Amino acid sequence: MDRDRLTALASAVWPPAATFAALLAMLEIASGAGWLPITVPPPSAVIAEFGTSGADLLYHVWPSILATVAGFAISALVAAGFAAVGASWRRAGGPVFTLGVLVDSTPLIAVAPILVAFIGGGMTLHVVVAAVACFFSILMGMMKGFRAVDRNSDELFHVLAASRWQRLVKLALPSALPFVFAGFKIAAPLAVLGTLIAEWMGAERGVGIMMIYAMFSFDPPQVWMTIVAVCLMAIGGYSLFAVAERAFLGWADRDEGRL
Amino acid sequence: MGGIELRGATKRFALPDRELTALDSIDMTIPEGAFAALIGPSGCGKSTLLRMIADVLQPTEGQIAVAGQPPKAARLSHRIGFVFQAATLLPWRTVRENVRLPLEIAGVTPRRSPEALIDLVGLHGFEDARPAQLSGGMQQRVAIARALVLEPSVLLMDEPFGALDEITRQRMNVELLRIWKESGTTAVLVTHSISEAVFMADTVHVLSANPGRLAGSVEIDLPRPRSLGQMKLPAFNALENAVRDLLFLDDRPAEQAPRRPKVAAVGS
Ligand SMILES: Nc1ncnc2c1ncn2[C@@H]1O[C@H](COP(=O)(O)OP(=O)(O)O)[C@@H](O)[C@H]1O
Ligand SMILES: [Mg+2]
Repeated sequence: MDRDRLTALASAVWPPAATFAALLAMLEIASGAGWLPITVPPPSAVIAEFGTSGADLLYHVWPSILATVAGFAISALVAAGFAAVGASWRRAGGPVFTLGVLVDSTPLIAVAPILVAFIGGGMTLHVVVAAVACFFSILMGMMKGFRAVDRNSDELFHVLAASRWQRLVKLALPSALPFVFAGFKIAAPLAVLGTLIAEWMGAERGVGIMMIYAMFSFDPPQVWMTIVAVCLMAIGGYSLFAVAERAFLGWADRDEGRL
Repeated sequence: MGGIELRGATKRFALPDRELTALDSIDMTIPEGAFAALIGPSGCGKSTLLRMIADVLQPTEGQIAVAGQPPKAARLSHRIGFVFQAATLLPWRTVRENVRLPLEIAGVTPRRSPEALIDLVGLHGFEDARPAQLSGGMQQRVAIARALVLEPSVLLMDEPFGALDEITRQRMNVELLRIWKESGTTAVLVTHSISEAVFMADTVHVLSANPGRLAGSVEIDLPRPRSLGQMKLPAFNALENAVRDLLFLDDRPAEQAPRRPKVAAVGS
């Protein structure tokens, strides 16, 4: 059984891994032959850059992670409040949804400079933009989750004379979790993106500002190193929730948590 | 004491454009420990009747008593067990945890352990399985065990085996009778099937539609314990026919032009 799962995992992992490795090898060869523009360094140079500027990268990545996590947490708290209102007071559902769409359709890259004028370019800005960037996905997951209790289960708890608290803890929350997690998984990379955009507008430390410095000092390997770092942050955020979901929601049918 | 009484029970629903009388003045007595079947065409109000007994809906007029109490009091004192057409198990709980749910909610320790009930419904060895790992019939058995765990005075079942194939269904019915006998509860079974109603019940109550009325009741005096062999007996067929006659009171030959029941013109 466990062995089967291991082979299944291996067969799921190796084709993309092999494709990726082949792509890197091709890039390396193309670069050596001089076929690539000078803005695209060979992969080996990017890997080497991790060695020489690794400490520098850590210095800049750390506040970015902090801003992303803080922005995500604030967004989740605010979204939980709105979703609870939207779910328990039916007429508020529409306006809450509209608010989510409004926030989501605001082009961050255009609004961030305006925000700079209000709150300056520091850590606060990064946190706020990260929060705004992931708000909609989190809100949608929670709103859908709070409505996920099916009518029969509701009737079952009524016949069992369950209290409000028992309903919340034993029915509403577990029913909501798959949807909440689906929202979180989509939201995590978006929060990373929000932090990055905010850091472009101005920061003393942050992977975004490091990227800008590297661009202006024309250091392609370092630019690419920051790009890879941002990708890893995004994938890391997603994976964190994916792993937590597997651990806590093993029961959930894969279809159930779809948004 | 543990029976069910309905006196003039009427249920009207307010629709946007009119009022719908789902059930009209139902009188019914189901003695303690008896097995009653409710049969009737779709939409005649069978589920509504069961929901009123379980205090999910309140009758517009009339009285209902469950074990000598109003339905609400009976529900709050956990005297009602309900089995839905869909098993309605919580997918994040194991079989054991699903059966235990009513105990957690009521905050009591049972005379009979959840494990014993899981044995009773024939699911020994599946205590730690999740609902998704069980077949439809097994899930419905878990739902029955869950409905019985608080030893309710009445067990209400709304087409519990409606989604199962004929063969599984007959097997489940035989088991259900055994479980019912052993638990001593008053049982009400809603069904679409005439033979199922006759096979299971002491009394079959036949409902007619538009509005839902009690067309009549047929006493089933077949000896217990019932066995599938009885279904071949002439006495069984005679009882089926008695139920069928009540169901198709206004029947006329299929070849004649149907005289449609007049439907009151509604709205503009
Ligand atoms: N909550 C409700 N609101 C409005 N109409 C309802 C409601 N519940 C049931 N009805 C109507 O009452 C009638 C009886 O329904 P139901 O009890 O479900 O019938 P059955 O279970 O016999 O098929 C149907 O016409 C149905 O549309
Ligand atoms: Mg029904």
